[in-house]
Amino acid sequence: MSFLKYPFWEVVKHAFSKEVWDTVFPAVWDTLYMVALSAVITLVLGILLGIGLSVISKDGVRPVPVLNETAGTIVNCLRSLPSMIMIIVTLPLARALLGQSYGSNACIIALAASCIPMYARLVQGAFVEIPKGKIEAAKAMGSSSAAIVFHIMLPEAIPSIIRGFTVALIGIISMTALAGNFGAGGIGDIAVRFGFNRFYHDMLIASVLVLIVMVQVAQLAGDLISNLILRKRHLI
Amino acid sequence: MGAYIRTENLYKSFYNKKEKNDVLKGIDLSIDKGDIYGIVGFSGAGKSTLVRCINRLEEPDSGKVWIGDTEITALNKKQLAERRKKIGMVFQQFNLFDSMTVFQNIAYPLKLVKTPKKEIEAKVDKLLKLVGLSDKKYAYPGSLSGGQKQRVGIARALANDPDVLLSDEATSALDPQSTLSILDLLEQVNKELGVTIIMITHELEAAKRICSKVAVLENGSITESGKTSDIFLDPKSSTGKIFLEVYKEFRHDDTFTGGGGI
Repeated sequence: MSFLKYPFWEVVKHAFSKEVWDTVFPAVWDTLYMVALSAVITLVLGILLGIGLSVISKDGVRPVPVLNETAGTIVNCLRSLPSMIMIIVTLPLARALLGQSYGSNACIIALAASCIPMYARLVQGAFVEIPKGKIEAAKAMGSSSAAIVFHIMLPEAIPSIIRGFTVALIGIISMTALAGNFGAGGIGDIAVRFGFNRFYHDMLIASVLVLIVMVQVAQLAGDLISNLILRKRHLI
Repeated sequence: MGAYIRTENLYKSFYNKKEKNDVLKGIDLSIDKGDIYGIVGFSGAGKSTLVRCINRLEEPDSGKVWIGDTEITALNKKQLAERRKKIGMVFQQFNLFDSMTVFQNIAYPLKLVKTPKKEIEAKVDKLLKLVGLSDKKYAYPGSLSGGQKQRVGIARALANDPDVLLSDEATSALDPQSTLSILDLLEQVNKELGVTIIMITHELEAAKRICSKVAVLENGSITESGKTSDIFLDPKSSTGKIFLEVYKEFRHDDTFTGGGGI
């Protein structure tokens, strides 16, 4: 149903009809699949990369200036690419790895390549916020670098790391919608193919609603978990 | 008895945009075993840098540090980490780990040396009793007052039975009452456990109350040192004199009742 042909409220009402959701619902699953898989990959590799970057940074527990510069530059290069360009750039990589450059799995490579560096920087930021004195206290007790990272830095920064992940997750959701335009399917695909190309504005409304709900859930869950931890530690 | 902790000609400079700032200019210290040794001076005199050079949180530019027969400045990274396990340190900002309970904070240094679980439990309980916080065992540092946090800090510093305790302005962030109780606790620790304590402070009263000897640090050099009573009775250095002046000025303020001696 289009706004061009039907009255406003008719279109809005129709956005909640079975007809629309029969098409939208499977796309929601596609999107959730892509988001979930990319999120897990981003979480694991982003935290590892973030730890690595903090450890070798100038003020880290094991500074390695040359490697730090190199890694920092690569991360910044990856972060320079807008999501859309990253998707195009990683298409050949997806074809080489998966045999096809379209579909949900192909898009996950682009999502990961884009979001891992972004999340790694957020994790690094979370580590920087730890008061230096705590790290020094651990050093003064004779902790090894590994003990400092895994027993002190990671647990101390976990609320910020979770908040950062909320930001990354929302980034992933928005990028997934964009990837729909490049053959990844999902909610973005619906919005473009039906909502934009064919003026099915009821489907557009449904897609927008789905995205809003997803982002709200991500944000609320992130805040909730992070606040629970802070409250347990009596920090708020 | 020879000095237990010695520093010899310690130099340390910091660079700020190529501007050289000499913080320590040839510090010679000798501290006997079992002493509570105060290092007093104004902000920026180099007190913290000096104490941090002793466990090499700050690397001295030149000079040597000995504790017992070990030359700290000659240790490699691994040996230093090993030795640090027996050097306790308390900080002005407590530096407790917010992610751990009081129990876990105190147990952390014990875990570093792979102490069996049962022994950790017993040791932590003993330390909690010593610092009077047995009822806060499972509390998080975030819920404690400043004085309580510093008690945990002290318990944590004592967990591995150190022979030396470095106290970097341990009472400077506390209210007068907590300051007194922490000072008493440090004195008790020194008496009961025989730990040598180096205490950095800018509070004359704190040094006067528990230190057996003090050194006055002024612009990176030690201007005078000796028995606490001698120094405060007849200060030779300008810092010492100003300290005493300020002290007399505030004498009528009876927050500290430990007085006497002057």
